[in-house]
Amino acid sequence: MKLRNGTYHLIKSAIADFKRNKIRTFLTSLGITIGVMSVVMLIALGLGLKNYISEQFEGLGANLIMVMGGSGLGGGGDEGGGFSGPAGMFGSVIEFDERDVSSLRRIQEIEYVVPTYFKSLSIEAEDNEETGYVMGVNEEFFGLMNSEMLEGNVFDKSDLQGRTKVAVLGHNLSENLFGEAGDGAGRTIRVDNMRLKVIGVLEKTGDREMDKAAVIPYTTTFASLNPDKTFWSIYLGVTSEDDVETASEKAEETLLKRYKEDEFSITEQSEILSTVNQIFAVLNAILVAIGSISLLVGGIGIMNIMYATVTERTKEIGIRRAIGATKKDILVQFLAESVVLSTLGGLVGLLLSVLIVMAIRIFFPAAINTLAVVIAFGVSGFIGVFFGVFPAKRAADLPPIVAIKYE
Amino acid sequence: MIKLKNVSKTYFLGEEKVKAVDNVSLEIKKGEYVSIVGPSGCGKSTLMYTIGLLDTPTSGSVYIDGQDVSKLTDEELSHLRNQKIGFVFQSFNLINKFTALENVLLPTKYLKDKLDFDPQERAEELLKQFGIWDRKDFFPNKISGGQQQRVAVARALIMKPSIILADEPTGNLDTKAGHEILDLLSDLNKKLNVTIVLITHEMDIAKRTKRKIVMKDGQVISK
Ligand SMILES: Nc1ncnc2c1ncn2[C@@H]1O[C@H](COP(=O)(O)OP(=O)(O)OP(=O)(O)O)[C@@H](O)[C@H]1O
Ligand SMILES: [Mg+2]
Repeated sequence: MKLRNGTYHLIKSAIADFKRNKIRTFLTSLGITIGVMSVVMLIALGLGLKNYISEQFEGLGANLIMVMGGSGLGGGGDEGGGFSGPAGMFGSVIEFDERDVSSLRRIQEIEYVVPTYFKSLSIEAEDNEETGYVMGVNEEFFGLMNSEMLEGNVFDKSDLQGRTKVAVLGHNLSENLFGEAGDGAGRTIRVDNMRLKVIGVLEKTGDREMDKAAVIPYTTTFASLNPDKTFWSIYLGVTSEDDVETASEKAEETLLKRYKEDEFSITEQSEILSTVNQIFAVLNAILVAIGSISLLVGGIGIMNIMYATVTERTKEIGIRRAIGATKKDILVQFLAESVVLSTLGGLVGLLLSVLIVMAIRIFFPAAINTLAVVIAFGVSGFIGVFFGVFPAKRAADLPPIVAIKYE
Repeated sequence: MIKLKNVSKTYFLGEEKVKAVDNVSLEIKKGEYVSIVGPSGCGKSTLMYTIGLLDTPTSGSVYIDGQDVSKLTDEELSHLRNQKIGFVFQSFNLINKFTALENVLLPTKYLKDKLDFDPQERAEELLKQFGIWDRKDFFPNKISGGQQQRVAVARALIMKPSIILADEPTGNLDTKAGHEILDLLSDLNKKLNVTIVLITHEMDIAKRTKRKIVMKDGQVISK
């Protein structure tokens, strides 16, 4: 009861002073508002960027394992994303064949085995030409990638057995060739002097290569494109995340029977994700550090105003000492004031940030996390104490006689 | 109750030494109504602040209820001021951002132990007794000087102090309002047996008290 009474009195007293100095209170807490806003917004944007990239990855299916010739992602390819073909790779690299496919298929944990032939080519329609990627895969590919159809169908097992000349187009490729992406279904394209019937068009995925691909049965590539019947890479998929580790170990074991250790690489999707997460943790820390500079400036603003307040209210301090306030009472009073001032600023900063984040979420997955809220309250409260304690100490240490005689 | 032994307060202004209070010894008993009188600059206020524990003497000792106050910590002195001493100043010294009632209640916020009375009730009682209950929610700058000084007296009394130190309490008031305040003080002394030290430079006012302490140039020339 007593404590509540005291705290109530302190806050009431602080607010009475703010009311008398509305503009000053507003400007002082504005410093903290801006500081908290910049930190919270930078965190929100950093998170947004991370979410954006994660979404791109999730489009590929979470439990994906990539088997590639050479040293894998680190050894070359383009930097565009996880799903980069080996188009840019150099050096002597082994290529996989159907024997590898069937031996990998024997691994129990593995649900999907998708051999992938990949080539950048010119793709022609009746009166249009466009550079795209030919991807020779099996029918499991669409399940592994969680593909969604815009129009038509995907090919099936019988198309692979029959080496049928069909293609499923990526959204952008179809759009560039036929004007409307959906118009591609039922039309014919020409690749390397081979006429292919478009049986379906995929929804936009956001992956640059997928969206510009003509996906065809890998057996169809054997005719002229890929007479060696080899694959750049093999994608493996497992149903449960818990199996990823075992599956990739077993895949390595299997391949080691035929190839040397440095001739191929196995990369798990989650590995790439965790690398991305690490990069963003560092980025986030840097952003917070930059934002903190404005918090520091806001804190100095509070300190400045609190010193002015103490001088201005010397007489009040004297009166309070005369009627029995101890040094500690005075210290707590001024400290409470700077903490209330700073926390109010922090609260407003947080609210404004939430509004801004809600507005930009329409086109960018920015987010407010617990860290942001903790910073808004914790740090602004801490700033109130840290920058308030020196002025408050000065107030408390004023000799009562000097304070009461002050005019 | 109050005892001063060879109390001096010297201010050093560069080369010059100002003896504001010069070797004063005196004793004021419980329930006394005393005035300290003397010309301007003779050291009355300095003496009062010393008795009121707001200032410390350069030499000599101050005893309150037999206790040598030089042995007390700043915190203990604050508690003593809170519980035993009430101040009334010439310029009222109310806090302008608080209402009359809030000003009267302010000393109760600084008591660390439990109050043995209900502060709201006691404040109401005092303000009613002084005829300013209807002004309880007014801010100090919205009421007359006489009313402000009554608020100040109520604030000085709320903690049931045994000593009231009043430094020229009528200095900023007209004759009528001044007399009302003085009547109020002598009433308190008679009815509640509160020790009152009244500081003034007017002999007329000093005559109202039973005992006069006359000062000149920092020294007590008659007690
Ligand atoms: N802080 C100070 N520094 C230097 N000299 C001071 C200080 N305070 C008071 N004095 C001097 O001490 C002397 C006594 O001052 P004090 O205020 O006690 O007088 P007073 O009797 O209360 O006068 P008045 O009736 O005008 O209020 C004066 O000469 C004054 O100039
Ligand atoms: Mg004086």
